[in-house]
Amino acid sequence: MIEVEGLTKVYGGSHGARALDGVTFSVPEKSIFGFLGPNGAGKTTTIRILATVLQPTEGTIRIDGHDLGEDPLAVKENLGLMPDEVLFYPTLTGLQQLLYYASFYGIRRADARKRGKELLEQFGLGDEMAKKVKAYSHGMKKRLALAQCLLHDPHVLIMDEPANGLDPGGMRYFRDLIRWLNGQGKTIFLSSHMLYEVEQLCERVGIIDHGHIVAVDTIADLSARLTAGAPTVLRVSAAGVTDDGIRAVAAIPGVTNVERTPLGVDVTAKAGSDVSGEVSRALVMAGAALRELKAEQRSLEDLFLALTKGGGA
Amino acid sequence: MRAPEFFRGMRQVAVQELLVNLKSLRLIIMALVSALVIVGGAYGFSGLGSGGGFPGGLPPVVVWPHAAYNATGSHVAVVWVSDPFGGPQAGRTVDLEALGPNGTVPLAKIATDGNGFVRHDVGGTDVIAATVTVGSFQTGTTISFPPQPQNFTYDIIQGDLDRDGSDDEMAIHVVNVSGDVVPAQIAVNGTSVGSTDAHGYLQFDLPRGDSIVNVTVAGETQTFPATVRGGSGGPTFASGPDTVLIIIAALSGFIVSLFGVVLSFDAVSKERVQGTMDLLLSRPASRSGILLGKFLGAFAAVALPVTLVNLAGIGVIAAVSGKSPTGSFAAAFLGLSLLLIATYVLLQLSLSTIAKTSGTAILFGVLAWLLFNLLYPIITFVIGAALFANDPAGYFHFSLVSGLGSPTQVYFLLIGLAAPQSLAGSGGTAVDPILPEAAAVAWIVLLLLLALWTFHKRGPE
Repeated sequence: MIEVEGLTKVYGGSHGARALDGVTFSVPEKSIFGFLGPNGAGKTTTIRILATVLQPTEGTIRIDGHDLGEDPLAVKENLGLMPDEVLFYPTLTGLQQLLYYASFYGIRRADARKRGKELLEQFGLGDEMAKKVKAYSHGMKKRLALAQCLLHDPHVLIMDEPANGLDPGGMRYFRDLIRWLNGQGKTIFLSSHMLYEVEQLCERVGIIDHGHIVAVDTIADLSARLTAGAPTVLRVSAAGVTDDGIRAVAAIPGVTNVERTPLGVDVTAKAGSDVSGEVSRALVMAGAALRELKAEQRSLEDLFLALTKGGGA
Repeated sequence: MRAPEFFRGMRQVAVQELLVNLKSLRLIIMALVSALVIVGGAYGFSGLGSGGGFPGGLPPVVVWPHAAYNATGSHVAVVWVSDPFGGPQAGRTVDLEALGPNGTVPLAKIATDGNGFVRHDVGGTDVIAATVTVGSFQTGTTISFPPQPQNFTYDIIQGDLDRDGSDDEMAIHVVNVSGDVVPAQIAVNGTSVGSTDAHGYLQFDLPRGDSIVNVTVAGETQTFPATVRGGSGGPTFASGPDTVLIIIAALSGFIVSLFGVVLSFDAVSKERVQGTMDLLLSRPASRSGILLGKFLGAFAAVALPVTLVNLAGIGVIAAVSGKSPTGSFAAAFLGLSLLLIATYVLLQLSLSTIAKTSGTAILFGVLAWLLFNLLYPIITFVIGAALFANDPAGYFHFSLVSGLGSPTQVYFLLIGLAAPQSLAGSGGTAVDPILPEAAAVAWIVLLLLLALWTFHKRGPE
């Protein structure tokens, strides 16, 4: 469980840049929490503070009941960080990196070696563990980064863009892995630019913009909240739509706008009105061949753009 | 057992830092440069001058000639071969030739016995030449047989046998008329300085100026004069091992500080440049533990080769000059080198924490080294010379106090203080030791606090 309250980070003195301003959210235990925001919104700063790399200017963070300010070492013991930039000591081999990091957790060397080898084999690096990291590809480094954050079997994983820069196969691999880790009982804080990935993995998301949290909720509730009071849009795919047909649809009570599209028409109706049956009837009566009619779902991308005012991601 | 929070992670980081540094190319290069300067310097300066009566240093062997007689009155050439310090040289070949009006006539080539002696009956020959060759070194002497045999004969050498820069030692070798070793009492200006040993050898000191030496065997005394020249000045250049060590320590001050800079200038910044800083800081280690680990690892990586090179330098001084430097001075040299390394590594840790890039880190390192080793001494010299143009005492005190502002200068002052008192003049023996000692401690403490503070504040940024 991660509880963040009033998190503020000011760089460069009290009059410096405010990277985070009163950020508050919580991540329930054993859940996957998506953390979204445009570039420069404060995602990485939040992650670095959660991972105990940076110290906040104000605010409290509790991870698994330990206060990060008061007992950072206890937090670190149960935390795995997978940073966005996966860089390692270039002259060490994959296994040597893991052994070095394992030494901080008081894991006996023989146990660390066994655990490190298991993880490297599990992530497809069994044949590369004796190679120096400077010979690793980007994808291999990502896998090594994952291995290093699981070495000490932490409860909480902080992942910054885990699938960034991977090919489609690699992305799917990571997505499946994150699901599997969550199934093992890990609480996962996932920052990602890939909205599709977040949509696939996370039940709850937090959206940050200009250092402020603009929304924390489940994707379904966010969608409902944003669409409440907004007009319904029906996307109709049909051939042979005539002007008469369009006029007939426009005459249906509740319809506010009808627009031709390359596939057919888009019909906008007042919020809360269900006009799909009347629209399909009117078009068929006017001689059109109807292929599909569906109410538009607000995607996470739309939510994101709406909440961050179109900013940058 | 877990370390206290302040030190958490120190051991792990230190071991890693040490291992990475030991395998680095820059360590190998700096170790070679240090060895070249320190060991090479030790060899070069030890071989310079000295030896007093022995230009080019003390000879490997000394040939001691004696005219002896057997029971029938036949002449016996007695030759004892030893090193300058009285160690008998067994198995050395002595080439004996008769010197007469018709030139030299080879007589015999005889190896010295287990005690370093050759005794050879030369019949009625009056003058014998004895030559010993050791490698490319050849030494020879003549033995004259006087008409009136003496009850005992002696031979002497005088020179800088204790390698202290002055020719105030004498060695004597005494045998009786039969060529056998007999105990002889030696006195200088009426004061006994000891008896010859089982090989007939004794080394003793002479006072400056003229002296009278008495050699007494079985109640009979022979007398000869001796003179030690040279005066009240300091030691001659590069004469004694302690003097050589002072020169080496001075060279070492520059090299060792540079070594410290080269190995630690990017100890922190490279974690940031490599992108490994966040992963390191997210481990269960305290910032103080990480910084102290960085310090210990870099310090050990410099201290190991430097101590080996310094020990080799001391060994070379001892081997070449034939005498070890004063033990306490050599130990102080080793210890002060470590102190100097610690100071420069701590300084670099602070600078490395502030530096954002590798380029800045290198620049900071070079500037810091130049500042304390070149610019600061020049600036303080110019200021001192301007302020105390007509006040040598004032300038002397100013230079001592201003020297405390550079760790390398503090090291030089402490080396001067640690040097044996006999070398007064080459070190700063007039300095109150508490000042540079306190300055050395202050430098370490201040730089450690600065490094901890900067890393705490700026480590991840």
